Parts: sequence; C-alpha cells; structure tokens
Amino acid sequence: MSELREIVSTGNELSALAGVDAGCTFFAGYPLTPSSEVMHSISDYLPKVGGTCIQMEDEIGAICAVIGAGMAGVRTMTGTSGPGMSLKAENLGLAQMAEVPLVCVNVMRGGPSTGLPTRVSQGDIAQAKTPSHGDYKSITLCAGNLAECYTETVRAFNLADRFMQPVFVLLDETIGHMHGKAMVPTVEDVKKGIVPRKIFDGAPEDYRPYGVEQDEPAVLNPMFEGYRYHFTGLHHDGKGFPTEEIETCRKLIERLFKKVEDYQDEIESNEEYLLEDADILIIGYGSSSLAVKEAVDVLRADGVKVGMFRPITLWPSPEKRMYDLGQKFKNILTVELNQGQYLEEVQRATGRLDINKLTKTNGRPFSPQDIIDKVKEVF
Amino acid sequence: MGRIVMRFTGVGGQGVLLAGEIFAAAKIKEGGHGVKTATFTSQVRGGPTVVDIQLDNKEIFYPYAIDGQIGFMLSVADKSYQLFKDGVAEGGTIVIEPNLVFPSDADRKKWNIVEIPIITIAKEEVGNVITQSVVALAIANTFADALDEKLLVDTMLSKVPAKVHEVNKIAYQLGKKYALEAMK
Repeated sequence: MSELREIVSTGNELSALAGVDAGCTFFAGYPLTPSSEVMHSISDYLPKVGGTCIQMEDEIGAICAVIGAGMAGVRTMTGTSGPGMSLKAENLGLAQMAEVPLVCVNVMRGGPSTGLPTRVSQGDIAQAKTPSHGDYKSITLCAGNLAECYTETVRAFNLADRFMQPVFVLLDETIGHMHGKAMVPTVEDVKKGIVPRKIFDGAPEDYRPYGVEQDEPAVLNPMFEGYRYHFTGLHHDGKGFPTEEIETCRKLIERLFKKVEDYQDEIESNEEYLLEDADILIIGYGSSSLAVKEAVDVLRADGVKVGMFRPITLWPSPEKRMYDLGQKFKNILTVELNQGQYLEEVQRATGRLDINKLTKTNGRPFSPQDIIDKVKEVF
Repeated sequence: MGRIVMRFTGVGGQGVLLAGEIFAAAKIKEGGHGVKTATFTSQVRGGPTVVDIQLDNKEIFYPYAIDGQIGFMLSVADKSYQLFKDGVAEGGTIVIEPNLVFPSDADRKKWNIVEIPIITIAKEEVGNVITQSVVALAIANTFADALDEKLLVDTMLSKVPAKVHEVNKIAYQLGKKYALEAMK
C-alpha cells in the first residue's frame, strides 16, 4: 500500500489542496456558501505554484473562464454550490458537447433556489446527472469523508482528462466544513498517477479533434499551438464545424454516451461496509453515510445484522452492483438528505419498487438514531 | 478514556470556531481522533453559532455531537444558549458568561451551571477581547480534563500569529485559574 500523509483540515480546504496537487493551475469562481473556502484556500495555494485564481463577476463568468482554460490545455477547476450550478448549467452543457475537461466542485446546501445557504442537503444529486438540457453522460463523484474530499478531487482531474468532459465532485455542507484528520496520498503519488490528456501530434492539416472512434473522447490539443479546430455547442463534424448531417449528429451523441458507458469499470467506485453476513442493506452516500456507519455499528452491537453500500461514483451509477444487491437483499433502505433522488436510481437498477426510504429536507443532518429508529420501524 | 463530547455556543464572529479547531488538532497530534463541526445561520455574523467537538482514541464517523450525550457546554450568548442547551446531558456542566446568558431556575436544577465572566476576563484582565476563545479553551479543557495542557497550548500557539503568543498564554492561564476556582 502506498504511503499516506496526515492532514488536519476541512473538506473544502482538502478539495482545494487536492486540485493543486493534481496539477490544477487555473481556478475561476464566485464565492458561494458553503463552498467559499474552496476558493479562499486555492487563491492562497495557486500563486505559490505559478497558477492563477480569479474571482469572476458571477458564476457564469467563472464557468466560461474555466472552459477557456481547459481549451488552453491546463488542468482547471471551479467551486460552487447548488445555486451556482444552476447558473453554470448552460455552459456545463457546452463543455459536455465540446468535450472540455474541467472539475466542478459542488458543496451542496439546502435548495431549491437560495434555499438554506448554511445548511446541509444532498438535493443536487439529480441535477448533477444532467445539469443542462440535452443528452450526455455525467461523471459525478461524491465524497463520503474528509480523505475523499482530497482523493475524489484528484480522481476527478484524472477522469476529466481521460474522458474529456466536466467531472463533478459533490461535497456537502457537513463534509465541506467539518474539521478533522484525513489520511491522503503523498504529493509524489498523486503526481505519479497523472496521465496527461491525449494530444494529436500528426500534421496540423490532418487534425480532426472529434474525428475519433465511436467509444473515444475528443482529442483537444491546446489552443494557439498550430492545431486549429472549430469550437461550438452546435452539433459538429470531426473538425468541429456545425453540421446537421443525419448520421454525424446521431453518432456524436451516441459517442458522448459510449465513451463513458463502455469504460464504466474505470469510473465506478463504491464502499461496502459489513455487507458479507448482513440481512439488511442500507444505501447511503456523502455525509449521510457517516451517520449510517455509526448506526450500523450500534445496530450490530444490538444483534441486528445490517450493512452499508455506499456509491462513491454516483453517476454513472453502479447499476450492476446494485442489481446484484437487489437480488441478494430482501430488506433495503436508502438514506439521503433529499426526497429520494437516488432512491429512483436504486429502484431502476434493482428493478424493485419495494425499497424503503429515509429522507430529510429541513437542512439538518441525519443522526445515527434517526437511522436506527427507521431500521427498527420498517424491518 | 471514552469519547469526550463538548459544545461551544455563541454568536457568529465571537471566535468560537477556532477553539474547536484547536481541540481537534491537539487530539490528533496526540495520536487520537478529533472532529469539529460548526453550525451557523445564513447571517453568520450575529447569528447563533454552535460548535461540536468530539475527541476519541477510536475513529469518529458521525461528526456532530448527539443531543443528550454532551457532557460540557460553554455559552457566551443567550440566544444560542437557549437554542442548544437541551443537547447537554442531565447533570452536565454548562459554563456561561453571566453578563450575556440568563439561565432559568429550572436550568440550574437540571445542569451544573457555572458562571465565569469570559468576555470580561478577556477584555479587562488580558486586555484583548479576541482572546476570549482562548480563555474558553482553557476553561473547557480544565472542566472536561480532555487533553494535556502543554499539547493544547502548543497547538493553540501554532494557530495564532507569533506577535500575540504572549497575550494568548496569559489568556489560557487566566481561563484555567477561573475554572479551577469555580470547580472548588
């Protein structure tokens, strides 16, 4: 096992640090509670490594600046919360369509609209799947503890470059602001794990960034280095020029799906806690899983055989694993700080409608007792 | 030693957050686990703020203090005191700033309420109101017997600028003195 180092910090600060360690050199944002410390921290870290952090005029300006940086070839990041995601949505669609890699950290708070700015929520799970209009395949990672605020941000950068698209990292107010110990990889190990994005090195006149195999991402060379292409949100051909040609349009959207779906094994990541001999399965993610874990320990001490499945990659969902778990477990409970956004995915993946749910949307976290009471009530 | 659960309450801007960070960091330095969480309202400054601190030798998953399990609370603002007092276990200790927090007679029967003029001590005896969080830190550590004093003070000093080290050392010792007197 690789060496780990101890950092005492908050989730937001760990996410910012991970960005810098993963090679991010450009951050553009607009401070938004409860994500502001991501930007505060990175505005301190980036100049020290020759990078740039810029506070833009608003959320839309921030995502546009980050898209520009991604096109210039650098690793780039923004941070926000739900209302900012809503404002960024249109341009996140552009980045999906034009295949620009970037990392977007969303520290979730109560919504909709301005909602509960300083309170925890997991209300942006469905939004992360399709923030904008149109068809594409989201990659969304969700940190469930302090260490993952670091490791999942690093992973997001690697996945963004591998799949050439935005990657979302979901934190929430609890995890973003909690302060404690995180054991994370060394900077050397993080650097070793970086695979630079693909570059076309043939003759510039042969360069066709979108003219790739049907399961491959675009190959976007950095701008201003002689490899010219057309950049658009319109349906486009191999060179990037707008087209309405029937087959080209069909293949483009199909490829945006296949480049992710065919390589889902590279993206999927889950935690299974005491599932081996369990009779009851609880599915939780993000900060809710901290309460679930503690509840599992208390219930087991009480003789109740319960275990937890925690998807870390929320989108694409671990549908095959959830299908298998749906076959194995009669008693399933989902626990999430929304009205059941991921429950719908669990129902789809397991093919079952008899999944129990525990939800909360008043800006307060679950306590372990909430979960213990629910398990005793329904099973 | 089992899990130590403490709660600091005040209003945003009083500096209660920092004391929690110092406790968690010191416990981690000792080789254990420490977690601090803060809950505040959207007005932040002036709004009721609560900081939960948990210290344990075992890993802590759930980061918030569980109501009914809190053995020690410190409060420097009445609105936060009234909002969060019920999390304290019956018979638990609540240290209050008597000029700003006003417990009822029923409260005094339910909990061990200790009056220490934390802000006055910081303002008049230390000479710097900002040091109230360090006065509070010392009081909490003395009552809860949570961590080695040197370890806690060294951790505190590592988080404040060098030019205010001396004044914060004085603040710590004054907080400890008042706590010991109150415990007699």
